[in-house]
Amino acid sequence: MVIHAAGVTLTLGREDTATTILRGIDLDIARGSSVALLGPSGSGKSSLMAVLSGLERATAGVVEVDGLDFGRLGEDALARARRGRIGIVLQAFHLLPTMTARENVAVPMELAGIADAFARADAELAAVGLGHRTHHYPAQLSGGEQQRVAIARALGSRPAIVFADEPTGNLDTATGAAVLDMLFERQAEAGVTLLVITHDAALAKRCDRVVELADGRIVADRSR
Amino acid sequence: MSQWAIAWRLARRELDLRFRGLRLLLVCLFLGVGALAAIGSLTQAIDRELASRGQVILGGDIEVGVSQRRVEPTERTALMALGVMSETLRMQATMVTGPVAAPQIVPTQLKAVDGRYPLYGRLRLADGRQVGAPDARTVWIAPALAERARVGKGDSVRLGSAAFVVGGLIADEPDRLGEGFTLGPVAIVSIDGMARTGLIQPGSLYESRYRVALAGGRSPDAAIDRFKAAFPEGGWEAKTRDRAAPGASRFVERMGQFLALVALAALVIAGIGVGNGVSSYLAARRGGIATLKVLGATSVVIARLYLIQIGLVAAIGIAAGLLAGIAAVPAVVALAGDVLPVAPAFSIEVVPLLLAATYGLLIALAFTVRPLADAGSVPAAGLLRGTLDTRSAPLRRTLPWVAAAAGAVVVLAVATADQPWLTAGFLAAVAGVLLVLATIGWAITRGAAMLPRPRRPLLRLALAALHRPGARTGTLVVALGLGLTLFVLLAAIQTSIEANIARSVPARAPSLFALDVPPERAAEFRRTITGVEPRASVATVPAMRGTITGYGTTRVADLETLPEGAWALRGERGLTYSETLPAGSSLTAGRWWPRDYVGPPLVSIDERLAETLDLKLGDPIAFTLLGVERTARIASFRRIDWDTLGFNFVMVFSPNAIRDAPHNLAATVDLPPGRESAVMRALLAPFPSVSVIEVRGVIGQVRDIVTQMGAAISAATLVAVLAGIAVLIGAIAAAREVRTYDSVILRTLGATRAQVLGAQAIEYAALSIALALVALALGLGGAWYVVAVVFGFDWLPDYGRVAATLAIGITTIMVIGLAGAWPMLSARPSQALRQL
Repeated sequence: MVIHAAGVTLTLGREDTATTILRGIDLDIARGSSVALLGPSGSGKSSLMAVLSGLERATAGVVEVDGLDFGRLGEDALARARRGRIGIVLQAFHLLPTMTARENVAVPMELAGIADAFARADAELAAVGLGHRTHHYPAQLSGGEQQRVAIARALGSRPAIVFADEPTGNLDTATGAAVLDMLFERQAEAGVTLLVITHDAALAKRCDRVVELADGRIVADRSR
Repeated sequence: MSQWAIAWRLARRELDLRFRGLRLLLVCLFLGVGALAAIGSLTQAIDRELASRGQVILGGDIEVGVSQRRVEPTERTALMALGVMSETLRMQATMVTGPVAAPQIVPTQLKAVDGRYPLYGRLRLADGRQVGAPDARTVWIAPALAERARVGKGDSVRLGSAAFVVGGLIADEPDRLGEGFTLGPVAIVSIDGMARTGLIQPGSLYESRYRVALAGGRSPDAAIDRFKAAFPEGGWEAKTRDRAAPGASRFVERMGQFLALVALAALVIAGIGVGNGVSSYLAARRGGIATLKVLGATSVVIARLYLIQIGLVAAIGIAAGLLAGIAAVPAVVALAGDVLPVAPAFSIEVVPLLLAATYGLLIALAFTVRPLADAGSVPAAGLLRGTLDTRSAPLRRTLPWVAAAAGAVVVLAVATADQPWLTAGFLAAVAGVLLVLATIGWAITRGAAMLPRPRRPLLRLALAALHRPGARTGTLVVALGLGLTLFVLLAAIQTSIEANIARSVPARAPSLFALDVPPERAAEFRRTITGVEPRASVATVPAMRGTITGYGTTRVADLETLPEGAWALRGERGLTYSETLPAGSSLTAGRWWPRDYVGPPLVSIDERLAETLDLKLGDPIAFTLLGVERTARIASFRRIDWDTLGFNFVMVFSPNAIRDAPHNLAATVDLPPGRESAVMRALLAPFPSVSVIEVRGVIGQVRDIVTQMGAAISAATLVAVLAGIAVLIGAIAAAREVRTYDSVILRTLGATRAQVLGAQAIEYAALSIALALVALALGLGGAWYVVAVVFGFDWLPDYGRVAATLAIGITTIMVIGLAGAWPMLSARPSQALRQL
C-alpha cells in the first residue's frame, strides 16, 4: 500500500468552537491506482486529502504515506516529506504569479534538490502541450493552460502520489475534459497513484476506485 | 543545493524591481538613516575642523589668561622660556564716531595685539592685505562694526580718550572663534594704541591673554602644568590647541548629541513603518507562501527567501539614506553660513556613516523578525480550505532576536553618547511612548469587543472593524497616536521657542549696562545721568573677576572632570561685595553679615551652585583675585532671580573680603523708552573710559542664537514627523486591504459610496479623538522635556496653536484614510468583485 490510514480523526478550532471534520477514517490505497473521493460539501473530502498529503496533521489515528509515518512529523518535516513524494493539483491552480510557467514547474524539483530541474520542467511542459509557453507568466495563460502547468508541476518531480482537488472546478466543460484526459494520461505514463476529489460522477467513473464520504466518515467504497 | 541557494533563487524571481509592496520600508529607512548620517557627519566634520585648526583658533599651542592685570615680569620670563610668546589684551569698550553734537556710539570688543600676532594663521583685511598689529594710531575693525558705526577705511574714530584712523576692515581674524561670545564686533589696535586709550587702569575689567608657540615639540598640557605649578596662585585660565574653542566644541557636541537622539527616535518611528510595510508585503503573499509550502518549502526556506528580499531592499534604503546624509552636509554648510562655528570642507565621515547604517540594520531587524517568522507559519492546508489566516509564530522564536537588536541599539547609543544618562532616558521615553500606545491599542480592541452592538449597520461595521479577527487596530493606534503626538510635540516646541524669543526684553530689564565706572566718581556718574533724564534709576555694584580654586576640602585643579552643573568652576567669574543683600536675591539659608562687618571674610553663594557642589554653611571657598589666592567662609545661600537681567553674582563677599583689591563699578541704568542715546551721549565726554552697552543689542544677539537653535530643533523634529506620516500612511494602507472586501460586498448589497465612506470615517474619527488626549499628554510632556530640561528655556507653549495643530493632524489622518478607500469605491461593484 502506498497510503495506509487507520482511525484518522481531525478536529479543528479550539475549545467551544472545535469541529470534528474526520471521524475515524480507515483507508488503504494501492500503489499506481486511481481513487476518486466523492461527497457533498462539508463531508470532509478536502480535509482527508489534506491529512493524507501531509498538509494537515491528524488529531488522532495513523497515517503512513509511501513508508513514512506522517503522525510523527512536524510542519517542516511534512514539507520535506512532500518533496519528490507527493504532487498536488488544486482547484484554483495556485501558480506563483511572479514566476514563469517553467519556473513554476521547476520549483518543487529545486526544493527537492534535483540538479536538472529546468530541463525536466521543459520536458513536463512539453508533455502537457505547453512547450511553446514556458516563458509566459500565469497572468498570460488561460485557465486551462494554468491548470496544465499545475499538472506539470505536480508530476515534474516524479512523485509516488498525486492529489488533485477539483482539478476542473474552475474550467469550462471542454477545457476540463481536456485537462482530465491529460491528467489520467500522465498518471498512466508515470505509474503514479492518483487521488482525486470531485463532484463529477463521470470523472469518478474513470478512477479504479470510488470512496464516498459523508459527515466525516466513509459511507461507500467501490472498486471498478 | 543548499537551503540558502534555493532561497536566493526564489527570492530573485519574486522580487519586483519597482519595489512594489516594499516602498514603505525603503522610504522609512531612507529617512531615518539619512537623518542620522547627516547629523553625525556634520557634527564630526565640525569637530574635526575645530581640532585640526586648533593652533589657529587658539592663536598658539597654549594660552594662559588672567583678568584685571598683566603678567608679572617673572611670569612673562617663564612664558617666553616655553617658546615664542604673543600678548593680547581684550576688553569691552565703545567706539565713538561722527560729530560731537550727534555722535554714533557703538559697543565693540577692543582687542590689543603685539608685534608677534598672529602666531598662527593670517590676519587679512578686506583689501587683501595680510597684516599684523597696526601702528599706535590705526585700528582694524570688523565689517559689522563699520556698518553699525557708519565708517569706512580712512575715517576717524574714538576709543576711550584717543583718536584712531580706520586702517582697514577685517576679512579674516584667525583666532575669532577662540575668543568665544563677545558683546559687539571686534576692533584691533596695538598694545601702544591701547595705552593711548587710557581704558586700562587699576581695577578696569580687561583680560590679558598670553599665547605661546611652543618650542622643541613640547607637550601643551605639560607646559601648562609646569607653568601653573610655578605660579599656583595666578588665577590662570588655560587652554591648549586641542581644545581651542571649548564653548563652541561643547555647543556642537551637545547640539549634535541632541539632534542625533531626535534622528534615532525618527529611525525607531520609521521602524514601525518598516514592520508595517513588511507585514503588508508578506500578507499579500500568503497564497504564494502556502503554495511554496505545498510544493515542499519549509518555514526556514520561506523565512530566508523573504529575508533576502527584505534585506536587499533594506540595504538599498540604507545606502540611499547614507548618500543623502553625505550630500546633506555641504548643503547645510552652505545654507547655514555664519551660524556654524566653522565651515568644514566636504568629507566622508566614515564612523558616523557606519553608525547610521548599523542603526538602520538593527532597527530593520528588530521590526521585521516577527512578520518574517509569521510568514513561515502560514499553513499550507489553508489553500485547500480557502482561508489563509496567519498563525503567529511562537514568541520564544522571535523575542530573543527582537530583544538582541533593541538591546544593541541601546548599547550603541549609550556607548557613543556624550551624556549616557540623558541618552538612556531619552530612549526609555521613546520606548515608553510606544508601550503606552500599544497598550492603548490593546485596550481599544478589547473595549470595542465588549461594547453592545449598535443597531445601525454602518456603526456596527465601524465598531466591528476595531476588533474583528485580523484587525490592525493595534498597529493603527500606534501609528495614529505617534503621528498626533509628533504634531503636538512640534507645535509645542516651536511656539515655546518663539515665545522665548518674543519675550526679548523682560519687564524689569535695565536699559543700559555700564562697565568700569570709577568708584570715586560714582556720584558724578549718577548726577550726569539724572541731569539728562531725571526719571533714570541707577544701580552700581563693585565688579571684579576671579577664579574659584577650591571649595570645602576640594581643590578644583585636582578634579579630573567638573561635576555636572558646576559651570561656575569653569574659568573666571564675576566677583562683587556688598554690605546688604543684593536686589534680585533672597536668603534661603544662613544669615547676612551686618553693615561695617570686620570679622573673617565671608561669602554668600547661589543655592543651586551650593547644591551642585554639596556645600554647607561654614565651608571655605578659595579663589584667586589679581593673582593672589584668598579664602572666605560661606555665611549664607541665596536664591537669585536671573530674569531681571541685572548684575547677579553667584558669589557675593563681605566688603572686608575683597574691597582692598583695585576695582571699578558696574552699573545698570533704567530709563524711560527712547532715552538711551541721550544718556550715552551725555556720558561720553566726562567718562571716556566707561563702556556703555544697550541691553537691546545684547538681547538681539541672544535672540539670533535662540532662533538658530530653534530652527535646528524644528528641522530635526520635522524628520521625525515625516517618518511618523510615512508610518501613518503605511498603517492606513495595510488596514485598507481588510476594508476593501467589506466595501465591495456592501456596495453589492446596495450601500452607497457615501455610506461606505461614512463607516470608515466613523472608525478613523473615533480612534483619532480617543487618541487626541493621549497625544496631548505625551506630546506636551516630550516638548517640555526638550524645551525646559535639555535647553533650559522657559516653558511657554501656545496651547491654542497646539490644539489647532492637533485638529489639523486629525483632519490629515481622516483625509489620508478616506483617500485610500476611494479607488475601490470608484469602480462598479461587478468590476470590483472580479478583483477580489
